[in-house]
Amino acid sequence: MATVTDIDRRWVFLIMGLVVLITYIGGVAKDLPVSEYVDAYYKTIEDLPAGSVVMLSADFDPASAAELLPMYQATIHHLLRRDIRIVNVATWPAAPPYTRRWFDQIAPQYGKVYGTDWLELGFLPGDDVAMGQIGGSITSAFAEDARENKPITDFPLTAELSSNMGGIVLLVSLSAGYPGILEWIAQVGGRYDVPILTGTTAVQTPDLYAYYPSQCSGFLGAATGATQYLQLVTVGETEVPDDPDNLATVRASNQRRMFVQSWAHGILILLIIVGNVLYFRGRSQTA
Amino acid sequence: MKREIPILLTILCGWMVITAFFTTGGVPAAWNDELLAWGVIFFSVAFLLGIGNLVRINLKQISARHPDWPYKAILLFVLFAYLGIGVAEIHGWFGWVAADGNTETLRRDWIYNRVFAPLQATMFSLLAFYIASAAFRAFRARSTEATLLLIAGALVMMGQVPMPIPVPAAVETWIATTQAFLMSVVNTAGQKAVIIGATLGVLATGLRIVLGIERSYLSE
Repeated sequence: MATVTDIDRRWVFLIMGLVVLITYIGGVAKDLPVSEYVDAYYKTIEDLPAGSVVMLSADFDPASAAELLPMYQATIHHLLRRDIRIVNVATWPAAPPYTRRWFDQIAPQYGKVYGTDWLELGFLPGDDVAMGQIGGSITSAFAEDARENKPITDFPLTAELSSNMGGIVLLVSLSAGYPGILEWIAQVGGRYDVPILTGTTAVQTPDLYAYYPSQCSGFLGAATGATQYLQLVTVGETEVPDDPDNLATVRASNQRRMFVQSWAHGILILLIIVGNVLYFRGRSQTA
Repeated sequence: MKREIPILLTILCGWMVITAFFTTGGVPAAWNDELLAWGVIFFSVAFLLGIGNLVRINLKQISARHPDWPYKAILLFVLFAYLGIGVAEIHGWFGWVAADGNTETLRRDWIYNRVFAPLQATMFSLLAFYIASAAFRAFRARSTEATLLLIAGALVMMGQVPMPIPVPAAVETWIATTQAFLMSVVNTAGQKAVIIGATLGVLATGLRIVLGIERSYLSE
């Protein structure tokens, strides 16, 4: 009788690879029920008055892009289409190229002007310390913007900002770990009484339930949360297959990826059951 | 003096930051801003130290013809090539600037988006395979606690995503409700207990430092 250790792990890799490949090719886009946490994230943004200023922090890198990038794109669309202005920062060094790319693509769709409707401040080293400095005074933390390398006080958007997060009505952190949402809550949220929203990777999501709704007004948990949020932001919009960056296309693509993930989770559970059956059989034979 | 001055500085800085946390404006806030700016500068210098250390260690291994020396040579080449391209573009050397303000035309962004991003995403996606193999080999119902963990894990995994195959609506609802209960009640209670416990520990350690009792950071 075969035991678990007898089975070459490459068989497990092959099974998982085939399941992912087949379900990816034959994936279907299906609407998911929206959780209260995602709904709270969406409604918090919906309730902001036009012209408000929101700080959007990219606390991730390409390793987490599969989960966080759709959230990032959808949040930019959602904020800009509601005429909410964005101050964009990053606490991960590899984040700014993403920031630049998506703002370059999305802002012109809504006729938004750099420096007036959105501002890119870039990466600030220092983890929690940097967050504390941003909270205390944005103008002290960033001397120049990261796009045009001009003093940030030259931009109309910063004229409305003051120390202690003055002028910022909401902080949104898309977080893949440390530094991220938990540090923003500790350094800025409670201290300056700024509401916080977040989108996180699956690994970090369980941490957030303890902070909801007092310290974190809403959150998007992993690819599932991203898909549910995309559904809310793209209500009535249809997929444009030729345009992969169209938000409705991103939504449909995410929904198909959820189909892949469903099967991958199913196979994982099946493998655990098979592993346990082999283990207990082997043990009873030894006894 | 070698001991007293660092201890005094630590106590002073610690109290200033604590005072600034509970007040707004005034001298404590100004000092706090100054200290945070110093902190950011120290972090930036740490990047340079990191590069220096990386170069030192890898050069040593290249010169000793370590079995992996070609990879280390590639690492150093890529490090300096990317750094060089970035510096050249920032200063506009060789006419390397973003065409029509479109940052997509920057060489460093091209390398980032076409090479770095896919490589990093690939590395992370491989986790799915390793997790599957690890779960198959190690996730065993050896004890009551392990069995509970296994069942809870499986339910959360199933409830997090739509069912891959059609199941009766009652089953689907039960899984979704149980998953929600596990995450919002059981998980939240556990997380809060851990957070409060850890925070009390941090508070106690912080107080010991700013009172000059804890001196392990001086290697004592």
